[in-house]
Amino acid sequence: MGREVSESCLESLLTEIVSSYCNGFYANKPELAARRIEAIGFQVGHQLSERYTIDRPRFTDHLEAIKFICKDFWSELFKKQIDNLKTNHRGTFVLQDNQFRWLAHMSVDPSRDASASVQDPSAMAENKAVQATGMHLYFPCGIIRGALSNLGIPCAVSADISDLPACEFITSFTFQI
Amino acid sequence: MQFFGGSEISPSPPVPTASGNNAYMLYVFNRNGVCLLYREWNRPLKTLNSHQDHKLMFGLLFSLKSLTAKMDPTCVDKGNLGVPQLPGQGCSFHSFRTNTYKLTFMESPSGIKIILVTHPRTGDLRESLKYIYNLYVEYVVKNPLYSPGTPIRCQLFDTTVDQYVRGLG
Repeated sequence: MGREVSESCLESLLTEIVSSYCNGFYANKPELAARRIEAIGFQVGHQLSERYTIDRPRFTDHLEAIKFICKDFWSELFKKQIDNLKTNHRGTFVLQDNQFRWLAHMSVDPSRDASASVQDPSAMAENKAVQATGMHLYFPCGIIRGALSNLGIPCAVSADISDLPACEFITSFTFQI
Repeated sequence: MQFFGGSEISPSPPVPTASGNNAYMLYVFNRNGVCLLYREWNRPLKTLNSHQDHKLMFGLLFSLKSLTAKMDPTCVDKGNLGVPQLPGQGCSFHSFRTNTYKLTFMESPSGIKIILVTHPRTGDLRESLKYIYNLYVEYVVKNPLYSPGTPIRCQLFDTTVDQYVRGLG
């Protein structure tokens, strides 16, 4: 039986990681900040997959590994499974979570309906909000990438938020011929 | 101050005391007097511009809290009138009622003041204000995109508060 940690503490820590990397360490270099955060997630995912596959047999193929991520791994991390899994049968999987736990408290400014000014400021503001939300997804992307690479499957993971709080993680494998 | 835990919003919302739309206005202030949120559902007469209205409301409650604490017959230690009180010090004033409205007030230890103005025949709303404070913690404080001390512009918070207050009755 594992020990437990407060969820509020964990969420605050993750928020602070993103905030200090984006506004502090790599203030004007969002790509570097994103890479660092993703690398931290990679380490975490690596170790977590070690812990959560402890009594299981080896995975026979990529699909089994992805199913493990969608069901057991996600349940251990977020107390729920991935809601929807899609694939193009050519090495790309899309994992969709309709209520991603770490985004549950986030919401953006409601759009200003009475702004008589040019369209650009409101579009820019919306863009910044989307960008800010996107920064918070690098950590889970890194976790998935770390977990899969520890299972012997190198891949690239990216995230897409079309509508909060649902988000999609797009995993693409490099095939070895 | 109760400690609210869990990821679900708790405590569960109190049962509405009557039916219909009873709430008139909602204010949320922080410790420095910045009005974080102002919502109105039913306010036929507006006498001041919003900035003055917020200052008036904040000042009113500041004075009322101080006055009620100083007039407390059961409390031994009383400073001079006008000495600012820390949240939780002295007795806590929670509502007043006139013939046209009832104002319910709640202050958290961190200085967040929630004021709800409703129909005069509304019951005790202290549990409801605690629930609204919990919504504030979940959807505003924990929102990475919100900077503390600025007016609240969080869509999730707005919709949940609106839904909840309309259901208060």
